[in-house]
Amino acid sequence: MTRRVALVGIGNTPYGQLPGHDACSLGLWALDNALKDCGLAYEDVDGLILNRIADYQRFASACSIDPAYTLATPAHGRFSAICIQTAAAAIQAGLAETIALVYGNDGRSAGVRYAGDSAPYDSDAGGLWFPYGMTSPGAYHALMAQQHMHRYGTTQAHLGAVASTFRHHASLNPEAVMRTPFTVDEYLRSPFICEPLRRLDHCLINDGGVALIMTSVERALDLPQVPVHLRGHGQASAFSASDFPPEDLWRGAMQRAGRRSYAMAGATPADMCGLMIYDNFTPTVLFSLEGFGYCEPGESGPWVEQGHLSLAGRYPANTSGGHLSESYMQGWNLHLEAARQIRGQAGDRQIADASLVHVMAAAPVVSSIIYGREPA
Amino acid sequence: MSAYAKPLPRPDDAANAPHWAAARRGELSFQCCTDCGRFRFPAAPICPACRSRHAEWKRAPRRGVVESFGRFHKAYWPGFAAELPYLVVLVRLDCGLRMYSNLVGEAGQTARIGMPVEAVFEAVTPEVSLVRFRVAKA
Repeated sequence: MTRRVALVGIGNTPYGQLPGHDACSLGLWALDNALKDCGLAYEDVDGLILNRIADYQRFASACSIDPAYTLATPAHGRFSAICIQTAAAAIQAGLAETIALVYGNDGRSAGVRYAGDSAPYDSDAGGLWFPYGMTSPGAYHALMAQQHMHRYGTTQAHLGAVASTFRHHASLNPEAVMRTPFTVDEYLRSPFICEPLRRLDHCLINDGGVALIMTSVERALDLPQVPVHLRGHGQASAFSASDFPPEDLWRGAMQRAGRRSYAMAGATPADMCGLMIYDNFTPTVLFSLEGFGYCEPGESGPWVEQGHLSLAGRYPANTSGGHLSESYMQGWNLHLEAARQIRGQAGDRQIADASLVHVMAAAPVVSSIIYGREPA
Repeated sequence: MSAYAKPLPRPDDAANAPHWAAARRGELSFQCCTDCGRFRFPAAPICPACRSRHAEWKRAPRRGVVESFGRFHKAYWPGFAAELPYLVVLVRLDCGLRMYSNLVGEAGQTARIGMPVEAVFEAVTPEVSLVRFRVAKA
């Protein structure tokens, strides 16, 4: 029988402009908060999984830990869920007992851009398409949105419904960077970046750090916080020709990852109390709702417009404001918010009786993570 | 006469140099697997379909179809500022390859998914020509 695991500690820094901190410093700050949250000592951490903190040696040296298991992962948002899965597998395999997952991002102060000559992403094909003015994940997703609109009649107002819903949630979150609500009409009057996507369809580059502590459920029961049980997970990918928008909008990969996670959790979409959907851009939310089975292919626009993602709706989503309005912590703040919801610590944006929360991400690597308030 | 202010193909990109040299000659050319015949671009060490390491550069038919498009309202390079907003199209060539590019001509101010197009070659500097597309007859 597989050993069960849970998140027992969570910590983060403020989000926004944090000059004087690099990714390592932000990660250390978040880790300190996570350890205080669960009452564990640095000496209790015997596994370390870092994301976007390249110098793992400097990090571990700085906080004087010598883990039995160390892993550093690249600065791509798809890795937040991969890190969660890997931490679970490492604990289950007996490689470590208590793993700290740490993320730090100094992108705002460092002036990181995801486009043009300073684009760090390999998806810009080494600048191959720059002569034609093509660059950035934003434009890539704009082209995908254009296809969805053509195929299914999805409108810009549907994208605006996603953006304005998550902004409303952020208005209830004191930690969110952008808290001023806007209507869909205001959204439709706002400026484009790469049409059909506007600035309000893009996640926010900010500084910040997030840390999560994962351990076995046996150990979790000795710790002060409500354990956030990892009930199911699944991963899939669609790397072929991924320089270009996938013809199925990642639907096949989402079905594969979703199926694995639902089977492991013994749950279906209808059982989920809340959703955390990787919202680098608004259309990704629409694709995810379809790919993970919350609505039929092509129907996500009208579905969102009916209000299902709002706090008062059937599937409250991105209740902290997500990447679009809280901050772009590349998935980590979505896992953090899932944990807060399960624990009942989400303040004004608490989902009533949040017993199962689904964290999903669609990209050339797709992931599906299900957390629960009850053990399996 | 002002210098060309937009990004150019990287001069150190030796792997893709044959594509740009062919464009300079007014030809559309890509790496092609000699074992299974599949075209690929950018150049890559093996064929993604059959994993063969054997390839040659070959001319491809110039026709294709617009699969998507986006209109940039933000200039990521100063050289594009004067043309905002500008259109980028995603073209599926008849040979199976996709590429990003722009449309030319008056008809090229708007795009439509499914629009048939044909590659043309635009000299942007004395050394470099780009592959752009004009609207073709259906």
